[in-house]
Amino acid sequence: MRIKVNKDRCSGCHLCEMVCSLFHLRIINTEKSAIRIRKDDLDTSLNTPMLCRQCKKMKCLNEEKGMGVQEKKRFIWNRTRAERCPFNALFVFGEEAFHCDLCGGDPQCVRFCTPGAIQVIK
Amino acid sequence: MVLERRIAFIHLNKNSVETTPISPDLRKKFLGGRGINMYLLSKCYSPDLDPLSPENPLIFGAGLLTGVLGFGSRMNISAKSPESGYLGDSNMGGDFGAELVKAGLGHLIIKGKSPKPIYILIRNGEVEIRDAQKLWGQDTIETQRIIRQELGDGKIQVASIGLAGENLVRFSAIRTGMKNSAGRTGMGAVMGSKNVKAVAVRGTLDITISDPKNYFKYYLEDINKLMETKWVQALGKYGTPLLFQYANAMGFLSIRNNQLTTIGDQGYALEAEALQPLSTGMLSCFGCPAHCRHRFSIKEGKYKRTKGEGPEYASIGSLGTKLGNIDLQNIIYAAHLCNRYGLDTISTGSYIAWALELFQRGIIDREMTEIPLNWGDGEAILQLIHQISKRRGFGNILAEGAFAKKIFGEASRDYLLDIKNFPIEMTDERLPKSFALGMATSTRGACHMRSRPSLDVLGLPKEVLKKIYGGPVSNRFSSYSGKGRMVWWHEIFNAVSDALGFCRFLTVFSSPHAPQYEQFSKLIALSTGLTFTSKELMIIGERIYTLERLMLVKDGITRKDDTLPKRYFEEPVPEGPAQGEIISRKGFNRMLDEYYRLHGWDKNGIPKMENLKRLGLQG
Repeated sequence: MRIKVNKDRCSGCHLCEMVCSLFHLRIINTEKSAIRIRKDDLDTSLNTPMLCRQCKKMKCLNEEKGMGVQEKKRFIWNRTRAERCPFNALFVFGEEAFHCDLCGGDPQCVRFCTPGAIQVIK
Repeated sequence: MVLERRIAFIHLNKNSVETTPISPDLRKKFLGGRGINMYLLSKCYSPDLDPLSPENPLIFGAGLLTGVLGFGSRMNISAKSPESGYLGDSNMGGDFGAELVKAGLGHLIIKGKSPKPIYILIRNGEVEIRDAQKLWGQDTIETQRIIRQELGDGKIQVASIGLAGENLVRFSAIRTGMKNSAGRTGMGAVMGSKNVKAVAVRGTLDITISDPKNYFKYYLEDINKLMETKWVQALGKYGTPLLFQYANAMGFLSIRNNQLTTIGDQGYALEAEALQPLSTGMLSCFGCPAHCRHRFSIKEGKYKRTKGEGPEYASIGSLGTKLGNIDLQNIIYAAHLCNRYGLDTISTGSYIAWALELFQRGIIDREMTEIPLNWGDGEAILQLIHQISKRRGFGNILAEGAFAKKIFGEASRDYLLDIKNFPIEMTDERLPKSFALGMATSTRGACHMRSRPSLDVLGLPKEVLKKIYGGPVSNRFSSYSGKGRMVWWHEIFNAVSDALGFCRFLTVFSSPHAPQYEQFSKLIALSTGLTFTSKELMIIGERIYTLERLMLVKDGITRKDDTLPKRYFEEPVPEGPAQGEIISRKGFNRMLDEYYRLHGWDKNGIPKMENLKRLGLQG
């Protein structure tokens, strides 16, 4: 399972970011979410939702043998792993990084994305 | 944390900043946003307060639920208005309000005047005053870009003025992003008068939520319901331009400074469908599920390589039909130019329309204007926008807005369609009587957004209207019956919605199924723990609106000022679907009487003491 991005549809509302932190951490902080909208609001380029692609070969865990299955289910990761991600899709705040754990199988951000810019692919 | 947000008092003369908590009592009485702004403004407001003096406070305020899950995430900017000389207040979308909240602040009060250009930088509650010499002279988009580059952070949100604000054009805006504006009532000139080029903010603080689990669940249900309404679906596809078609078809659009009210089939050129080929996608303000903002890109012709956001219906009308202009690309370009200079597109269009009619009637001529001013001359409109922003030539006169009456002379007065020294917008209200009353009573001068009473246009059954408004309201758009009640109800409702940071478009505006008080109280309780009944929220709205009225009363505003332009009372609409429509003085006065009675104001429009006591506004 992964979340597919259709950036043509992203309106840049940041609801997904708010919902991610609220679901996992019970607070709202768009800096503490595993999804991030990359946008330049002073240009007319497209907005891009960025998040973990659920790679089969997890370069982020390269040096942590045997951690994959267990770590995939965890939301709070660390800076070192984020720096290994070839897609820059893990976001760091302080020393913590936020990893998309797919909300245990029912990704909440997708439910709030009214333009349909993110969808679940099984 | 919602309730822990602070107010920052920024004293430019002393170069000092103090922050204080927002007391629970103030929150309970005024919520936030426009509500607390008005409380703060009322403490300094007096008839002697010169809007362009250092003493005029410039107040920024995020709504109580701005920056969290709600129905929009907006803010208000308030001060005494240099445009009208009375109460100034402007509501703005975009991402700025939410960022202010993330930085731990709910409100800013900027007083005094800096000796040289500065900008204010706020990071997680810390306020810093920085040099802005090199920003002075930059347009509103470049200013944002330069600040982000200077600080190396693309997420900084900036609200800035452009050349118009620097040059104290009376109808200049404060702007953020490509197009979002606190446009009306000249807040940009107040900022310019203080030598403040911009306010930049970045916040990364946690916002704690009272009942996260239920808040999450309830909000999802709410937005799912909202997204099912036809109104929000259409708005998400076309944005506000969809309203243009409707106003043109019904005959309540301003054509040539309201000499006509429809352009019939010529309107196709400016309808939402005509914009689609130029549209490059939709955008939302922070936290909004509806995405009504559109981007454009002009690829060919005279204005090619122009990219930006908009235009909104208000700009299409104000810079288009109101000026006899139906060149869509010219209108888009003109609106974009206003955005860069930091001019309010609505007022800009209104004052230019006034000048065009004065020229048409020979009240002013080329000796004063230098260039000929003819209806529909797009190039002349662009030239005037440049001139106004730079205060050059004839533009220097127009930059004075309604105060130019003194220069144009007595014969010019009736051709500026204004209320409380503030011009009518892109519409003509001789047909929709509720709108006409709302314009007349609005606490910031001619403004359709203070009340925006549009539910009577949907032809809903009378029982439905009665249930919403608590009394009989005619479902005929052109009827006077019950419209005092309708305007009273919407003024109060919108004051609450602005105090929460919500958007007109996501609340009861054009859909009776959109969220109302009941949903508001539930969201407030789940996110902050504060409990209000629907009735209590309504009392807060009354308190905010009556406090605004009290400031106007100090200025000497009474019933005589709650009126409409002479044209509305004396000239029937000459042709089109609204032909013959006019405002009868008798019908108007009946609406006004009903309206005052419901507000608890006397026959002259002065709030009664017993009502002030009830609202805690006495003394």
